Order: sequence, then C-alpha cells, then structure tokens
Amino acid sequence: MTSSPAARWQLEAEAPAGRSATDSANARRYRLANGLAVITLLDKRAPIVALQTWFRVGSRHERPGATGMAHLFEHLMFGQTEKMPPGEFDRLVERTGGESNAATWVDWTYYRLSLPARDLALGIQLEAERMQHLVLETGPVESERDVVTNERRERVEDDVDGWLDEQLMAHAFTLHPYRWPTIGWMEDIRALSLPDIRAFYRTWYAPNNATIICVGDFDEPALLDLIAHHYGAIPPAQLPEVAEVPEPEQTRERVVRAPKPIATDRLLVGYKAPGQDDPDWAVLEIVSTLLAGCPSARLYRRLVIEREAASSVDAQLTPFRDPSLLRLAVTAARGHSADEILAVIDAELAAMATTPPSPAEVEKAKAIAETDFWTSLVDVDGKAEALGHYEIALGDFRKVNTLAERLAQVTAEDVARVVRTYLIPDRRTIVIAEPEDEGAEEDEDVA
Amino acid sequence: MSKPTVIVETSSDTPLVWFDIAIRGGASADPRGVEGLHRHASLLARRGAGRRDRAELDDTLDGLGAAIEIGVSRDSVSISGLALARHLDAVIDVTADILAEPRFAEDEHARLLRETPQVLDEIRDDDNALATRWFDWLCSPGHAYGRTSLGTEASLTRIERAASIELWKREVVADNLVIGLAGDIDEQAAARVVTRLTERLPTTPRPNQAIEVAPAPVRGRRVILVDKPDRTQAQLRIGHLCARYGETDTAALALAEAVFGGMFSSRLMQEIRVKRGWSYGAGCALRRSRLPHWFEIWMAAGIDVAGQAVALTLDLFADYAANGPTDDEVDFARSYLIGAMPFHVATARQRMQLAVRDAVFELPPGYTANLPEALATLTAEDVRAACRRNLRPDDAVTVAVTTADEAQQALGQANAGTLTRVDHDEY
Repeated sequence: MTSSPAARWQLEAEAPAGRSATDSANARRYRLANGLAVITLLDKRAPIVALQTWFRVGSRHERPGATGMAHLFEHLMFGQTEKMPPGEFDRLVERTGGESNAATWVDWTYYRLSLPARDLALGIQLEAERMQHLVLETGPVESERDVVTNERRERVEDDVDGWLDEQLMAHAFTLHPYRWPTIGWMEDIRALSLPDIRAFYRTWYAPNNATIICVGDFDEPALLDLIAHHYGAIPPAQLPEVAEVPEPEQTRERVVRAPKPIATDRLLVGYKAPGQDDPDWAVLEIVSTLLAGCPSARLYRRLVIEREAASSVDAQLTPFRDPSLLRLAVTAARGHSADEILAVIDAELAAMATTPPSPAEVEKAKAIAETDFWTSLVDVDGKAEALGHYEIALGDFRKVNTLAERLAQVTAEDVARVVRTYLIPDRRTIVIAEPEDEGAEEDEDVA
Repeated sequence: MSKPTVIVETSSDTPLVWFDIAIRGGASADPRGVEGLHRHASLLARRGAGRRDRAELDDTLDGLGAAIEIGVSRDSVSISGLALARHLDAVIDVTADILAEPRFAEDEHARLLRETPQVLDEIRDDDNALATRWFDWLCSPGHAYGRTSLGTEASLTRIERAASIELWKREVVADNLVIGLAGDIDEQAAARVVTRLTERLPTTPRPNQAIEVAPAPVRGRRVILVDKPDRTQAQLRIGHLCARYGETDTAALALAEAVFGGMFSSRLMQEIRVKRGWSYGAGCALRRSRLPHWFEIWMAAGIDVAGQAVALTLDLFADYAANGPTDDEVDFARSYLIGAMPFHVATARQRMQLAVRDAVFELPPGYTANLPEALATLTAEDVRAACRRNLRPDDAVTVAVTTADEAQQALGQANAGTLTRVDHDEY
C-alpha cells in the first residue's frame, strides 16, 4: 500500500477502466480508517460527475416475512434527515440541474447522483447526511409504503413479464434468498414494522458497508479531503455475519402454468447457472449471445424467422454473486404454443451440446461482447455502475477487466461443455403464462 | 447537387462509432388507411440488400460485433448503427446497400406482414404501451400524429410490396437525409463515410411532405375507458393537442412542463405520489416533434383511487393553466433546466443525436443545445402567459386502461367529460 494524496487515505488498488484521450484511465480504490471505500475515475470530457454510493445490502440480506425491506430504503433514503426537512434532498439536487435515483437488486443497493462538477461538494454532504441521520417516522414511511405497493402493482400484478420473472425465481430457488422478489411480496411490504425498518438502517447503512464511486470531472485530492471531512468521524457498524445458504442441487424439472389476460403464450425458462465470478459464467455469456443475443442467433432464427412460432426471444444470464440462472424468455406467435417452443429450444441445445459451434460463430459472440463492453463504459454513469457492481457483487472493481479477458478466451469446446453441463432439463424451471379462457379459474398449476 | 445534412461529433474515448441516418417523412406521412407503411418499408429494407439476403446481412453485421436498427417516429425513419471503429468501413458498406439497393424480397414482405400483428399483441399485453397507443389515436382525431406507426389489423392488409419500393425510391434521396456520426471518427473519415452512403442514391430533390394537421381541435373533455380484465391499476394519460417544438413559446413551455410534471419536485409528483401515494410516478411532457404535438400527463393509479386521481389531476391542470407557476417555481425550474443541459450533451453520441433531431424538426443548428440562453431571459410572467395560451384543460382527453366494471363509475364522476368504453383489443 502507498500513501494517497490525502494523508488519511490508503490507496488499495489501481487498474484501467476503459480508455481516455485526455485523462488517466485508471480507476483507484482508497479506504478510510472507518472502512469507507472510495473508487475514483477521472473523465473530464464534460463538467459533470457521477457520484454513487453502493451498499453491500440487497434482498439477499432480508428474511422471509420481511421481504422488500432493502428496496423500501431505496424510497425512504430520499426523505427527511436530522438536518433536512422532507423533500429538501430532491430540491437541493434538482436546483443544480442534477438528478438522483437509486436501485436495489439481490446483492446490493446503490444511490446515484448525477451532478454538475461544481456541485460535487453538495452531493458528498447530502450522502454523508443520509448515511447517518435519516429520520424514520410513521407518516413518511406509510406514504412510501403506498408508493411501493403501487410500484409493485405496476411492475408485477399488472405486468405479465414481471409476474413471470417473480414466479421463476420463486420456484427455481427453494432455500436461497434469491427466491423472493427484490420489491418484496405484497403482504410483506404491508407488514414491515417501523422498529424493523429502523433496525435495518442502523445495521447496514454504515461506512464500512459502503463504497463511494466518483467518475467525472473533479480534482482527486480535493475529493478525498471532502469525503474525509464529511465521513471521517462516522463510526463503523458491527456488521452481522451473513449466513451463506447454498441452494440444493436441482435434480428435476419444475413447471408452473397460469392463465393471464394475454394474447398468446409466454414462456420463461431458467437454467441453473454459476455465479458471475465462476469461470464458466463467461462461457455461458457467450452461449446466451449465440442462442438469442443477436439477429443471427440460433433460437431467434429457428423460432422467429424459420418457424414463425415466436414473436420475440431473449436470453439473459443474471449477473449475481451466487449461482443463479440463464433465462430464456419467449413470446409465442398466434397459433403456437409454449410446448412447441420448448421442443425447439431442446433440439437446439441438444445440437449445441453434441456439435460445438464453428470458430466463426464463437468469434461473432466475442465481437458482440467487445462492443457491449465498450458501450457500458461510454458515459460517467455507466462507468460508475460497472465499477460499483464488480466491487460490491464480486468484491473487486478490477474484475470488470477479468471478465473481458475471460470472454476473449472462450473456445467452441467450452461452449459445448457448458451446454452439456448446465442447460439440461433437470436443472431448469419453466414458467408459462397462457391466455385465459372466459370464465376460467385463475389457479396456478405447479408440476 | 443534392446533399444530405451531416453532423459529426468526434470522441476517441471508446473504439466505437455510432451513426444515425434520418430519412425525413416517417409515420405521419403514411397514406390514410395504409398506416404502418413507413415501418414496413424500412424494416423490409433491413432484411436483405445488395448481394446479401437477410441471413447473410445479419451474419455479416453480427460477425463484426455491429448492429443496425430501424426506428420509425412520426417525423422520420431512422437507421441507427453501432460499430467497432476498426470495422466501420465494412458496416458502412452494408448500410449503403440498405439505402441504395434494398431487395424488398417477396418472402420477407409476406413474413413481415404476418409478424406485425404479433407486435400489436405484445402492445395489448402491456398496459403502459396500450395506454399510449390509445391516447395517440384519440388525443386529436384527424391529426397526422394520431396515425399509428405500427398500423392496425386492417391497415396492414393494405400494405403492398410495390408501395414499399416506391416509398423508398421517393424518400431515400441524399437531399432528404440527415446523417449523424459520433465517436472514434475524424472529419476526413466522416466525409468518406457520407460519400459511401450517398454515392448510389438518386439525385432527385427532396420529396414534398406536406402533413395533415387536425382541421380543428376537439372541444370538451372526454374519457376513453379501455377495458382490460384483472387490472389492479389504471394506466392514465391526460392531455390535448398543444404547441410545436420550436415555436416562440417553446422555452416558456419547457419551464411550465418542468414545474408541473418534469421533476421529482414538480406539482404532479408531490400531489399524486408524495402526499397521497396514489401512483409510483406522475409527470407530464410536451411531445417534441416537427408539428404541433400532445401535451401529455401520465400516471398509474391504484384502481380504487383512479377516479380521484383523474379528478385531482384535472383540477391541478385547470388551476395551472389559468394561473401558471409562481415566481419561485420558475426560478427553480430555470435553475434545473440550465444546470441539466451538460448531462444531455456530455457524450459525442448525445450531441450528435440532439443535432440530428433538430435537423429533422427543421430547427436551426444548435437549437436545443442553446435553449438555456432562451430560458435565462424569460420572466415568470412570460411563462404564465404561455400557460394561458397553450394549456387547455377544458379540452383534455383522458385515456384509462383498466378493468371497466371496477373503475367506470368513479371515472364517470371525475369531471373528466363524456365517457366511452372500448375493449382493449379492438385497436
């Protein structure tokens, strides 16, 4: 370790994150004595900064019966603090021309400020204030609870894709916390108690559970001084031990069907896949592209173009810390069924498992991955999100480069091997939404 | 000699190049009864061109890690591309073929006609998209922007391959294009790209594209209740035909929009979400287009409070139209909008896209990027006067996508005007 420009900071890590014509393209991680980490990356193309505060707390840190707690904070953290009346946070940010938002997922929660460079000090002051002094009282909590229940109605109850997603995770996982939705079950959202909400804040919102990411036009020594000034005296919290809950091996296919007010069948299939840090994750990312990640992808060609059995097909490998899913989402065309589509998926996977793709096909997926990699680093917000995700979910921002290297090394034989290993019926969960008949019961059918 | 409008924004911070080619025209120029023609023709052009059929074209682009996508707005068709700089020449070759030598293959024409109704199904499955589709259709009947870019079940049956070919021949001429390039490309390379894209195009003049505007605005409030089963919410749209982006009142209306529904601190967000928790979001916008377009309010209220949400919103809107924002609100919104501009022009791609849009709207170069200068000179009274001139709450149409049996009575009592009930899948 070496001393940083600000004496109280320790420089822990440094690595390239993208490229820059004008600035150092190196991101650096510093740490304060109370455990607060800061990752900096200069980008002076525009007089703006992305200031993000990432916390190592997501829906995986909740307990059954109190789901949705981490996400509720995504709302509450914009409320009253000891020094700021309700609404003041948003007004101060918006007066600068900046914007604030937040996101919660299974492994993390982060708070995003996009600010004019001249207002960086205000952003740091606001973030430090709400990390320590959030006021949690009944009135504002109940109001935000109503907002969250409406958010859930919009994104799940009245959205078939949201429903499919929720059902997939709920049936694919039997023990791991990934089984409940990040927004929480409706009955849990309604039941979260004020004492529990306050305890959650005291437990997780602490400097030693946070990483500040700053990307943009700033002076690094001045930034570190500012952060030290506003955060240096905040004591670290006693973070609880988080028990690892390994998901048991899935040994047979699970199927869920339910009628919905939709025009045609919708199908969501989730195959158990390793966590993002596993070497096979990069291979599955290539598989995902080959199956449905581009117009020449195999499933797109078979289902949408050749058979005209589907109107859309999509593949996604979830970037979670623990083993998760490779998901295939398909919307059936009129006159075609989910079962027919499933048979095509099985045939294509069987072909890929026995006959490795051509080197040209693999190179195609790598070229697309390279474009995607650079696209994610185009603006300051994208750079900050990439650094934050890898730092919090995988423990080190430098893994953004590791993944790119892994993708470049994937071979056709790797592709066939992971298809044989992971993309098999016994390791999958299927959720099907079917058009409801007039007067049909809406019972869910689980097999 | 006919020449395209060209915009270049250079940045070497990533090894990527973006291009946007706008073909002036768009869905508002679809013939009446043949809605969807521009979308159909442009998607068909992407499905095989020059020596490559659809599969070969896709294989070529994917092999380069590149993408070319088609978009259709009310005012233009756009061909948007993304390429690694080292592969740009090869991607431009494909794009030039799409512009100059699309195959318009018979089999792809027929396939696309079979595919498009499936997109209609996907919209009907999505309450948010469905509310927008109905609002666009009925906000100002007769206006060209009420013409759906996707088409209808009936209009799709009238789309012919020959009409697609004719449209492409007429509109894809150099003089009718706006070409934007951004990223790892310098001026010299950009000039070569523009030549490559246009050298095989006809040199005929830009076609005359007179667009129909509604003969007279519809008067009085109306409610369109779009009935869909099993809803827990009502997706709501409220609005009316308003001003053209680029008119004298544009800057004042930008401030008015920000105060009423363009920020988290705005009146709608505070009244609907913060005070009452009725909707996850609530906002408004004046749609930016070449011709007068909608002023639109949106939210998704719980079905049990949908009627109250509509009634309150209309009351707030009426008060705002009559009295406008306060002096403090105008100062706040001005500070927000001026401070926000650097975020909209931070990357080369953003600057290029804004400039392309301005050109399609036939606005002076830099119009949008320079709006902060106009904002700085406005008084609060200017904004209030613009509200009085342009906002018409008494003529607002309300579209609600929800379960009619549960919401009809409350919506009928919301002082929102005459109510018409329709099935969600009939348009």
